[in-house]
Amino acid sequence: MIVLFIVVPLVVASLLPLIGKISRRFLPDLLANLTMVFLLGYALTSGRQLVAAGSAVHRIFFMDQPVNIVLALDAFSLFMIVTIALVSLCVTLFSIDYMEHYGAKANYYALLLIMIAGMNGLVLTNDLFTIYLFLEVAAVASYGLVAFGLGHDELEASFKYLMLSSVTSAFILVSIAVIFGFTGRVDISGVAAGFADLKAKYAVGFCTALFLAGFGLKAAIVPFHAWLPDAHPSAPAPISAMLSGLLIKVSGIYAMTRIFFNVFGFNAALSQVMLYLGTISILAGALLALGQNDLKRMLAYSSISQIGYIVLGLGLGTPLGILGALFHVLNHAVAKSLLFLNSGSVQQATGTRALDAMGGLGKRMPFTAATTVIGSLSIAGVPPLGGFWSKLIIVIALVEARQYGFAVIAVLAGILTLWYYLLIQRRAFFGKLNETWQNVKEAPFWMTFSTVILGLLCIAIGVFFPLVMKTWIQPAAAVLSAGIINALHGMGF
Amino acid sequence: MHIALLAGLVVFSVVAVLLRDLLKAAISLAVASIFLAVVFFTFNAPYIGVFEISVVAGLITVLFVSTIALTKDSGDVKESKLPVIIFPLFFAAFLIVDFLVMRSLIGRLISIPGAAEQRTFGDVFWYQRTFDLVAQIGVIFAGVFSVLALFRKSGRKDE
Amino acid sequence: MNSAWYLDMSFVAVLLFIGIYCLLTMKNLIKLFIGIEVIAKGITLALMATGWARQSVLFAQSLAITFIVVEVSVVATALAIIINIYKHTGSLDIRKLTKLKG
Repeated sequence: MIVLFIVVPLVVASLLPLIGKISRRFLPDLLANLTMVFLLGYALTSGRQLVAAGSAVHRIFFMDQPVNIVLALDAFSLFMIVTIALVSLCVTLFSIDYMEHYGAKANYYALLLIMIAGMNGLVLTNDLFTIYLFLEVAAVASYGLVAFGLGHDELEASFKYLMLSSVTSAFILVSIAVIFGFTGRVDISGVAAGFADLKAKYAVGFCTALFLAGFGLKAAIVPFHAWLPDAHPSAPAPISAMLSGLLIKVSGIYAMTRIFFNVFGFNAALSQVMLYLGTISILAGALLALGQNDLKRMLAYSSISQIGYIVLGLGLGTPLGILGALFHVLNHAVAKSLLFLNSGSVQQATGTRALDAMGGLGKRMPFTAATTVIGSLSIAGVPPLGGFWSKLIIVIALVEARQYGFAVIAVLAGILTLWYYLLIQRRAFFGKLNETWQNVKEAPFWMTFSTVILGLLCIAIGVFFPLVMKTWIQPAAAVLSAGIINALHGMGF
Repeated sequence: MHIALLAGLVVFSVVAVLLRDLLKAAISLAVASIFLAVVFFTFNAPYIGVFEISVVAGLITVLFVSTIALTKDSGDVKESKLPVIIFPLFFAAFLIVDFLVMRSLIGRLISIPGAAEQRTFGDVFWYQRTFDLVAQIGVIFAGVFSVLALFRKSGRKDE
Repeated sequence: MNSAWYLDMSFVAVLLFIGIYCLLTMKNLIKLFIGIEVIAKGITLALMATGWARQSVLFAQSLAITFIVVEVSVVATALAIIINIYKHTGSLDIRKLTKLKG
């Protein structure tokens, strides 16, 4: 029952405000986390069987009448669902303690569950317009979540994020309207078939440009990145983790990749554009991160840089490139959310995000320091953590495709990344303990617990990377490499 | 006739954007919605025409007017007159480019021809796009909970 | 595609231009949101015009009605944010919202 991925969070979310009236803290915490555990467990156990025979198509029956909700779960979708479930579970655990002083916890969990339901729905549907719809579900929930603290910064960031996001939705919809005009279908298999028949290069090019603009804005690819350094730091820490770790990948990268590979078919021009955009993102993100004093802002710029790596890998279009890019999606989701959650711990303990006001926190907050080191090293690409392998695969894929210039830039930017992450370690956690922080304590239990889980995941994904690649990532990459064929036959009804 | 309606829509949208007084701008937006709804009626699409009038020209205008009323004492936001003055220039330029491009594309782009529809609107909406309804429920919940979260009384984080 | 579709799509482009112009030049928060509303009208027109040109008006109506529902949610959230900003800063000027820079 694939539809459970969407329906369960939605139903629990609708019940939460009522439950919140009865029990302000305990029941909402319990329910939200149980839902996440269920989602993760269901994804891990049944997902593999469902996908083993190719893609699973699930038609829902309601009282013996076929209801036209058709969900398609193939390896790529399953990979995204597992990533979403993993990170969301840890974020929800973290929120148990972190959201205490924000109040209205039931409301917060409801919005968080709706966002997760929206992301799951986006990944599971076979229809372009429904992709847009679930993207909006997650986006509207995220507007409320970014502004949740009701402080000046949060409201300003949420407003600007909302404005920009609405413009991107306009681009995406115009493209869908044009596609509908030319092919008469809005579902992925129908559109793929339609364009294969038509061979309308200019229409496809126009729609590709609009989709690149729209989804590129969602994924914060340079030059559409300006909203991210404002929106992500101002949100509460667990929401920053969700946004940076999941939302930009699901609503940006996943949607873009699904459409470019399985609907339009990948061509050389698009490949060039994506290679250049990816490289510019890598450089811009890394260089801008260097000059930051605000911890979360530095992490936000780093996200832009890492998304650049993913776009670079995808832009290659070769199976190895796609493999590296998808693996990096998983690594970055786990590591970046870990880092943002830790920044929340630090902010709660010290009340500040300014790096030069911190110092030597490692002595008082050992778990936070240790997990931050793990997360940073993973993103910077240090063996044997996961990020090293995914970046290595991307670089090898670049060299194999004879794109030597891009490979050199990717490697050099990796060194830059390592540098600014080490800066964070040095300034915030190691070195002499700043007098003001004599009495800070380690973060409360659930916050530490969730970050330790994420840290262990970083290590495990790195150490066991052949296993991870074989079971989750290679099937996903195969779906994308098969391109349009996959849309026409695999998901056709 | 058709062009007159579309022109009316564009004119009132321009007025809504360029007017200084917010209340008049909101009403101009509502009038533009009515023009758009009439266009939909000429498309033989009564459902969306009614929906557009009742929701966009009705509900959204009410929301705008309440917001304007709640923020009345903000004083005047000093907008420079420059955008209003140079607008006709850009607008005319854009119009010319736009119509020329569209003219040149006529007949150049082929599309798959469509067949006439045989079902009723209810069939299409409920049975063909059922998944959209789940998403609509999701988005309505998201909006409601966001508004509830933004207007909550206690537990404000001090910043 | 018959020529009426091109005419309608050119009007869609005009509406998008007006909306984006509003977003780029206006300074009042509520005015900025009126720009988004104009863009939304353009999108609705694009969806319906395409449906009309393909004789699939019913299908296009379903898409457009769903889009309007989404738009209402976005409007409600945005106006709630605007009212909160007004409560905080006492003004609706976007030039006062420049704390996040650099």
